Amino acid sequence: MLRLIMTRVFLGCVTLFAVTLLIFAATEILPGDVASAVLGQGATPETLAAFRIELGLDRPAYVRYLEWLTNALQGDLGIAMTNKREVLATITPRLYNTLFLAGYAAAIAVPIAIILGIIAAINEGKWIDRTANILTLGAISVPEFFIAYILILVFATNLGWFPSLSTVYGDMGFWQKIHVVALPALTLTMLVMAHMLRMTRASVLAIMSQPYIEMAFLKGLPRRRVILRHALPNAAAPIISVVALNLAYLIVGVVVIEVVFVYPGVGQYMVDGVSKRDLPVIQACALVFGGAFVLLNTIADILAILVNPRLRHPR
Amino acid sequence: MEDFSKKLKDAERLAARSGVSRRDFMQLAMMTGLSVSAAGAMFSKAEAAETPKKGGTLRMGMEGGSATDSLDPRTYADSVMIAASLAVYDSMVEFDNAGNPTGALLESWEAKPGAVEWIFNVRQGIKFSNGKTLDADDILYSIGIHRGEDTKSPAKGILAQIADIKAITPSQISVTLSSGNADFPVILGDYHLVVVPNGFTDWENPVGTGAYKLASFEPGVRLVFENRGDYWMAGRANFDRVELLNIQDVAARTAALQSGQVDAVNRLDARTVDLMKGNNALSIVRTKGTGNRFCFVSRVTSPGFENKDLRLALKWGIDREKIIDSVYSGYAVPGNDHTLDAFNPYYNTDMPQRAYDPDKAAYHFKKSGLSGEITLSTSEGAWGSAVDCAQLYQESMSKAGITLNVKKESADGYWDNIWLKEPFCAVYWGRRLSADQTFTQVYGSGSDWNDSDWRVPAFDKLVEAARVELDETKRKEQYFECQEMIAEDGGMVCFAITDYLDGYSSKVMGVQPHARYDMNDNRIASKGWFA
Repeated sequence: MLRLIMTRVFLGCVTLFAVTLLIFAATEILPGDVASAVLGQGATPETLAAFRIELGLDRPAYVRYLEWLTNALQGDLGIAMTNKREVLATITPRLYNTLFLAGYAAAIAVPIAIILGIIAAINEGKWIDRTANILTLGAISVPEFFIAYILILVFATNLGWFPSLSTVYGDMGFWQKIHVVALPALTLTMLVMAHMLRMTRASVLAIMSQPYIEMAFLKGLPRRRVILRHALPNAAAPIISVVALNLAYLIVGVVVIEVVFVYPGVGQYMVDGVSKRDLPVIQACALVFGGAFVLLNTIADILAILVNPRLRHPR
Repeated sequence: MEDFSKKLKDAERLAARSGVSRRDFMQLAMMTGLSVSAAGAMFSKAEAAETPKKGGTLRMGMEGGSATDSLDPRTYADSVMIAASLAVYDSMVEFDNAGNPTGALLESWEAKPGAVEWIFNVRQGIKFSNGKTLDADDILYSIGIHRGEDTKSPAKGILAQIADIKAITPSQISVTLSSGNADFPVILGDYHLVVVPNGFTDWENPVGTGAYKLASFEPGVRLVFENRGDYWMAGRANFDRVELLNIQDVAARTAALQSGQVDAVNRLDARTVDLMKGNNALSIVRTKGTGNRFCFVSRVTSPGFENKDLRLALKWGIDREKIIDSVYSGYAVPGNDHTLDAFNPYYNTDMPQRAYDPDKAAYHFKKSGLSGEITLSTSEGAWGSAVDCAQLYQESMSKAGITLNVKKESADGYWDNIWLKEPFCAVYWGRRLSADQTFTQVYGSGSDWNDSDWRVPAFDKLVEAARVELDETKRKEQYFECQEMIAEDGGMVCFAITDYLDGYSSKVMGVQPHARYDMNDNRIASKGWFA
């Protein structure tokens, strides 16, 4: 078990290293650099050259990458090229915001999706199964900003229950944040529900066709008990990994939602960084996103082993 | 009657914002059946709101900010930081609503004949937020950071004309230019040129003479300002507190204004602004034709485009009105093939507006002796709707029998790879401070940005003569001629100049259109107040 975790952590670090290398290369390939992006149409060759020397952009790419890597390994994410702020100090509150929104949406979406998925499996083919399927599939079949604007129109502009701007600040209380972030959390809930619900339903149903389940029915157990006691523990592994994937999506894939609700998360920071070619910023965001993916998937794998007796005690 | 009372209410609001004269107001009011005295009393009441009141928190939602913003004036490029800067710092020279330079921290000035030598008087008794009193050295330092070998300031170019600058006394500065420029005070009004104390470098904790001091700054998220108290300009600095939110998405901005979460927003969407006009809780301020100048620019040194008749065919063959109606919902004014706008004092009002004329386009195309298709490079990277505009252009050209091939380029790196390189491409130009700056930067032979590559010695001479001309009538004639030369011979098809559309809660006062920028020159935090 410990060995497995160690291997996973090591592989995760290798993945992160590859991600930063790829991102660095990609940013180098993009036309323009931070100097031309910041100075824009108003740039003259003179000011460009001055800015590049100030930022050290006149040095070869591999030197700059190695320098960044050495510092990052010591926990120093560097200083943003554009506004000279410490990247770590800027990204920390934004990461907290991203995790807050992701956690908020997950706290609503995961229990509902799994419970509905199980209920749908118990009542396969009945109206409750069909309704749950139609509603959740409907929600992911339209673009995310569309759901977001509909929610804003109804709950912010017409009813006035929630604000349309979800910008949160350090000085806000917890419950105030819960209120302000309600609409983006709701939007994300609708986006991730379908995947988890369908997966729960499908994996429970797949187990249901196994001989040992038939045996349980033949013993005379009620359907509910068969599903909860016998089917669910064995169906848990795929459910856990799909939940992990969706949690990762909630952290890394919400740039559009951040823009629509003006939410200060990491995604917006990365987009601003990319448009200005601000490498330390881009790299830090890539590390955060890559790290979230690696971490969640590792946890999912470990959990899957823990809940499944056959994996827990390999022969 | 309902229509009248709506108009009356609008007129009342306009009078409050000093947009309507007493005479116009009375006429409108009496049309609704009011007596003269009642209408007069009503005007006085509406006008009373003109006296600024103190207090309240102004919440602004603006596009044009980013997580990479900084308060170093050498990095400003977009609205959020310009507005933030003008709340904390003061300019040396300001502009009135018609666009004329007026004294700010440089109170007044005088030019010796020839406009080479200038004397500026520094305003006295002004205190920075750290308690220091403003003197000439602060001004010299604040100009100096934009000059010199290794500065990266975008203002470096416009300040290159300074040959020598020094303080004569603590309250007087003398400037010697390398050659005369009657517009030099206008140059000092550039938004990068704000005043900080001598030797100041701590841009995270700005010290200025402005109406507010910075309370908090999260780049790309929010800026908060608190009133510093005791501002030197009467009628300014009326809010206790100002919050400036970054809202990049126009739909989010609109929704925030409509649901009352912000009191002021910039850059409303021309396609939806009409839907908000019926709402009495909001007021929309439209500044006509001072925004971006949208152009299709041909390089007159490229094969084919060196032919003047072809260029005329390009200019006659574009249906400006149709593009403005369908792409900008009418919120733009037609361009007259040069980039000066009607708010500029030297705008040529005698030159007729060029309209769509497929016959003339066909005539000039035939006369040019050229055949085959013309390729126009365009991209979302030039400006958001450049591709739509190009497609409408293609359609109007085809009616003149000319085939325009619209080539869509990648948005990334458009300014590096296409602009100044492709023979015919989409370009936008922003407003320049003065007619001289416009002509020198966009059309001057010495300019790196002369994107039409139209370099005409006679034109340069005319611009140089106008630059030092202190006789207004003569100067106007010279600038009129400049515009005619560009429109007739140049390579630029400038077809539209957009309007600025600001949205306010109707309780925000002091929101007139301004010749330079939207949001009352991006100074609404300092100029506005709550009714």
